[in-house]
Amino acid sequence: MYTIFRLVNRNLTISINPAFLLWQILFPIIYIFIAGFAYTSLIQQVPFGDKGLAYPAFLASGMIGFNIMNSTLVSGIIIWNDRKYGMFEQIMSGPFTRANYILSNICTIGIIGIVSAALITLIGYPVFFESVDFSLITIPMIIFAAVTGSILFGSIASIIATKLRSSEGFNVILNTAFLFFAFVSTAFYPASGAPEPLKTAFYLNPLTYLVDVIRAGIFGNINEFILIEMAILVVISTILFVIATKLLTKLNF
Amino acid sequence: MSCIIAKNLSKNYDSLKAVNDLSMSVKKGIVFGFLGPNGAGKSTTIKLLTTLIQPSTGSLTILGIDAIKNPLEVRHKIGVVLQQPSYEPTLTVEKALEKYGMMWNVPKMICKNRLEKLIEEFDLKDIRKKRNEDLSIGQRRRVQVAREFMHDMELLFLDEPTVGLDPSARRKLLDYLKNKVKTGLTIFFTTHILTEAEYLCDEIAIIDKGKILAVDTPDALKNKFGKEKTIKIHLLKNQHNIESLLSGIPDCKIDFQTGTNITIHSTQSALVLMKILRILNDNEIEIDDLSATPTSLEEIFLKMVEENVYNI
Repeated sequence: MYTIFRLVNRNLTISINPAFLLWQILFPIIYIFIAGFAYTSLIQQVPFGDKGLAYPAFLASGMIGFNIMNSTLVSGIIIWNDRKYGMFEQIMSGPFTRANYILSNICTIGIIGIVSAALITLIGYPVFFESVDFSLITIPMIIFAAVTGSILFGSIASIIATKLRSSEGFNVILNTAFLFFAFVSTAFYPASGAPEPLKTAFYLNPLTYLVDVIRAGIFGNINEFILIEMAILVVISTILFVIATKLLTKLNF
Repeated sequence: MSCIIAKNLSKNYDSLKAVNDLSMSVKKGIVFGFLGPNGAGKSTTIKLLTTLIQPSTGSLTILGIDAIKNPLEVRHKIGVVLQQPSYEPTLTVEKALEKYGMMWNVPKMICKNRLEKLIEEFDLKDIRKKRNEDLSIGQRRRVQVAREFMHDMELLFLDEPTVGLDPSARRKLLDYLKNKVKTGLTIFFTTHILTEAEYLCDEIAIIDKGKILAVDTPDALKNKFGKEKTIKIHLLKNQHNIESLLSGIPDCKIDFQTGTNITIHSTQSALVLMKILRILNDNEIEIDDLSATPTSLEEIFLKMVEENVYNI
């Protein structure tokens, strides 16, 4: 078995546990089916291109992006735990390089991201199936979002994990950052009705681009702006991946 | 043949020389003890030898491979038990061993058999289903050492592996290591428990302030640096003037005395002992117990480190 696959196998074993899986499924279900339908009385239709989306469908598609982001927390947790419990040093004294370690982390969150996106797509499908505009590029668009989203947010989590040693600091910073990403984005509500400063803040947040790409794939609204958003996602995830890799390479024993 | 050859190895952290011009050679199939006080440079040396860090200067050959140019090649052939605990908190003991074997690409069947054998040999039966985070420090240490034997290796680095183990587990581990060496494994072993080093090691290096002070077999070190013998006398009654009574005997250094307990160091122990007995007899001082022991490795170690401090 290839070195990286062996590390991915190990990463998946240590990070996937019943509580994590339950949370990954339960949380979106609560959001889509409880919050989604509860807010329908406030937000009936969300304008989307030349059509209007029911709020539960809008939210369900946003939850795919949110869940991809959430699942990449695993990357930070793996690195942080490996450092805290001495496994980073132990692995590095074995037949592995730092590049192996970094790539295995990216593969791990890529897998978790894709599985997570697929799961929410399945869960959310009954809600948004009426508005789905399925085409040949729907699935590639979701996979693109899952991969770039995993690398982008996984790199952010990794950067935080390499910089912080205390568990309190790690948890506070990671949760605050991800809370900002979650709620200052178009994952839960549309940008169109928001006040101007908030609308600007939405577009400083990569999760907005991620959910825009997912929605474009599902509801069929691929335009020039979506292509620009895709390009931005690629650029940001590449930059953050390079930074995360450099920081991991420089980690001292 | 040597499996570790270090030449003028140094590791500097800013102005601190953690390892200073270290040269040594470790023969195959032996237990090589690496002794030193806290902060002597033992762990830094292990990190250099296991290629975790790069030296500032010097050359290093491990198992015939240039460890500076080809660290990964070296790491395929060695095992490392580091000083600090290393474990995956959420995995059970058996899962942790199994996954470690998988990480080292050990075939599944061999992995399974080895796991069962190690569970038996390291007395892990009662805790095999326990999660690592629920283990005591000693249990965790046992699992950490056992885990390293999940894969094949030619050279094993053990950085204070017995820390946290009870005396029985410690002895079992040392005996296990002794048996492993008989099968051809070479062990590089650091400790500051000198009785352990004396029991286990074929050769010993004493390091302090990043420099090797001496390298030899335990017996040779004792002969070279420990010609003195320790005479211990326990008197039946307290004798306040014992020091002045014995003060006339040449080569008789009274190291410690309480009036009933006296510890003496001498390079001519037989002669000194005879003179002491004569004086005690002449003064009608009764002896409760008496012993003359060769200088222990611990005493040599303390002496060398102390002298090194004063020489700097």
